[in-house]
Amino acid sequence: MFVHHLYNVRLTRLRVGVMALLVALLVAVLIGGAAAQGAPSGTLRVGMGSPAKLDPAYASSDAEIAVLNAVYDYLVDVDAKNNVEPRLATSWTVSSDGLTYTFELAKNATWHDGSPVTAQDVVYTFNRLRDPSLKLPTADLYADIASIKATGEHQVTFTLKATNPFFLYDLSDNHAVIVKNGTTDFGTTFDGSGPFIVQSYHPDDRMVLKANPDYFIPGKPGVARLELIFFSDQAAEVSALRGGQIDLAMRLPSSLYQSLKGVKGITRVDVPTNGFNVLRLRSDEKPGNDPRVVEAMKLAIDRQAITESVTQGLGVVGNDTPIGPLYQKYYDPSATPPKTDPAKAKQLLAEAGYPNGLKLDLYTPNTGDRPDMAVVVKQQLAKAGFDINVVVEPESVYYGDNKWLQVDFGITGWGSRPYPQFYLNVMLECGAKWNEAHYCNQQFDALAKDAGTTLDSQKRIDDYHKIQQILASSGPIVIPYFFPQLGAIRDGFTGFQMKAFAGRTDLAAVHAP
Amino acid sequence: MTGSVATRRRGGWLAPLRGLYSRPSSALGTSLVAVFVLLAVFGPLATPYGPTEQIFSERSQPPSFQHPFGTDHLGRDVFSRVVAGDRDIFLLAGSGTLVAVLVGTLVGLLATYRGGWVEEVSYRFFDSLLAVPALLLALLLLGSLGPSRASVLAVIAVAYTPIVARVVRSVVLDTKTKEYVLAARMQGESVAFILAREVLPSVLPALAVEAALRFSYAIFLVASLGFLGVGVQPPNPDWGLMVSEARDFVYLTPWTLTFPALGISLLVVGVNLLADGLKRVLQVEASA
Repeated sequence: MFVHHLYNVRLTRLRVGVMALLVALLVAVLIGGAAAQGAPSGTLRVGMGSPAKLDPAYASSDAEIAVLNAVYDYLVDVDAKNNVEPRLATSWTVSSDGLTYTFELAKNATWHDGSPVTAQDVVYTFNRLRDPSLKLPTADLYADIASIKATGEHQVTFTLKATNPFFLYDLSDNHAVIVKNGTTDFGTTFDGSGPFIVQSYHPDDRMVLKANPDYFIPGKPGVARLELIFFSDQAAEVSALRGGQIDLAMRLPSSLYQSLKGVKGITRVDVPTNGFNVLRLRSDEKPGNDPRVVEAMKLAIDRQAITESVTQGLGVVGNDTPIGPLYQKYYDPSATPPKTDPAKAKQLLAEAGYPNGLKLDLYTPNTGDRPDMAVVVKQQLAKAGFDINVVVEPESVYYGDNKWLQVDFGITGWGSRPYPQFYLNVMLECGAKWNEAHYCNQQFDALAKDAGTTLDSQKRIDDYHKIQQILASSGPIVIPYFFPQLGAIRDGFTGFQMKAFAGRTDLAAVHAP
Repeated sequence: MTGSVATRRRGGWLAPLRGLYSRPSSALGTSLVAVFVLLAVFGPLATPYGPTEQIFSERSQPPSFQHPFGTDHLGRDVFSRVVAGDRDIFLLAGSGTLVAVLVGTLVGLLATYRGGWVEEVSYRFFDSLLAVPALLLALLLLGSLGPSRASVLAVIAVAYTPIVARVVRSVVLDTKTKEYVLAARMQGESVAFILAREVLPSVLPALAVEAALRFSYAIFLVASLGFLGVGVQPPNPDWGLMVSEARDFVYLTPWTLTFPALGISLLVVGVNLLADGLKRVLQVEASA
């Protein structure tokens, strides 16, 4: 009995051992096979600023958008070359009058809680963003939508009040991630449909996410674990990259980017953008309401020198218009501001009634390269007789109470957008919401309105070219350069394609070594 | 013991200096401060470039004979900026401390000597100011005044006057019951005379040490505010602001970070060592 029992035990042990071996082999084969099919593996650790607002309607920083882009899906996306591409919507059709857009949604997309993504979720998302009574920052953007209807379980139809050639880009606005029908507790729960599921979130420290095993886009995400690590200081972020505590850093200042040159194991990535700093003079009151003062400002600035010193030569020289070379056919290289001539500027200032120079306070927020630009601008303008006092303020002060819209002279940063119409509509049209220069030019307004509604692309190109000629020669703005998007990634990671707006970079496409 | 220091001073006005140089730590402190004072006074005459002058062709140059501390990314000579920043910090922290010492001493002497409700009201007010940390107080004040040299000076004065006044009070409380003060009072001397001739001299040693200590804190406060971007504004060569601007250049042009940071640390260490030495020398003298 005892012996028998022992024998049995031995046999069982042997069986278990063999079975364990077989199971291990099977698992290994399965894992190997799955890896060949692209099952998520490895970890990607991304350094970024700390997100503050994670309600999609209010999120705006790169860090905030990066979180949304990982957890949720956009209806349509914009690739690194500014082409519209499918995301939750797998295909769409546009009516011949350009007023009706019909989208087919992915049928196998699910929320992280397992329920399917339906047309009702899309309707809820955009109705919330455009509801005038909610006063969300997106209300203006979607004011041209007449109705949004679920025309099927997985079909949504948008009807517009007027033609809008950039409507698909509008739908892919940073705020417009699709949320589940009825969601109200944004920023505390994260029930998205996106490639990553939030595991833990410690504000001001890190957010840890795991791959969504049921993600509807095959082959994504590439990594099993995504760690978003928040830094308040970018020099510390770069030290962490050098030290191997993070794998990826984006939105680097040119100084830190240049410092990574030749560092072993790290690859630098440089993407041109249409983001810029604008030096603008209020044109509705003294002294900027005198065109001679505006011209003197434009003549005094040496855009090439600003680009060289402030961006370490990494920026692209601008022509005082927000329509940069990135917009290709829309860009008119022949529209150039008057050639730098401080002596002529000085003479114009004298004619305008300032023979002994013009004293001005120059306001700017303390972020990015704007303080540097202010200091260089001060020196350049001094040669033409401008006496500039630089006032650098925290963003909360500069943008708080809309001070930036009121000061006479200021430098403001504008992010990169996939199409140029945005800048014209909100920054330069007469009475526009963020018209900080208080610019008002009827010819400009007519051209901008036509470009923003015509479905004839050649006509739009002509409008944009004329607009650039007007702004370059007489607009009360100086746009000395377009800044690049600078990033660096640890060697061995593949599939990384940084976008002009870093937060929109597709982290789900990245594979770990 | 009479309160008159002058009558007891042996060896003339150089005596404290000799005392300071009798120990290596205070000798080092005194020498450091002396170097920074000389740089502040005569340095700007010797620097070949303006502190805000940008030379486009000479950006990001390492230290050389032409630019002993190198240049920054905008082509500004770091040596000229550090020297100009030295003068700036002496003017700002120095005048702020001076205001704090004068007001603190005046209020401290008068209120403590008078006693009663005057003393109560002024010291409870000072206590309420002391309850707020200096940096927080500074941020609050600068938030409402706006960043400028004048407001930084005001911040130092407001933050440190209560501390000086407390030091003065502790000495005056002790002195005002002394027999020579009572004697002077009985002689019918005026309050001003008694405070100036009988009370003040006994306050002076403690006050000198406190002034030196406050000065070192003020240097640090000015630099901190500059670093946080709420103090002196660019392109002015404030040391704290320079360190803040150079943070992102730590790998690329480390000299733009090193020299202003070295300036802050050496000057603060120097002033502190000097204050320690001063304390020792004056105590020895007082007990002699």
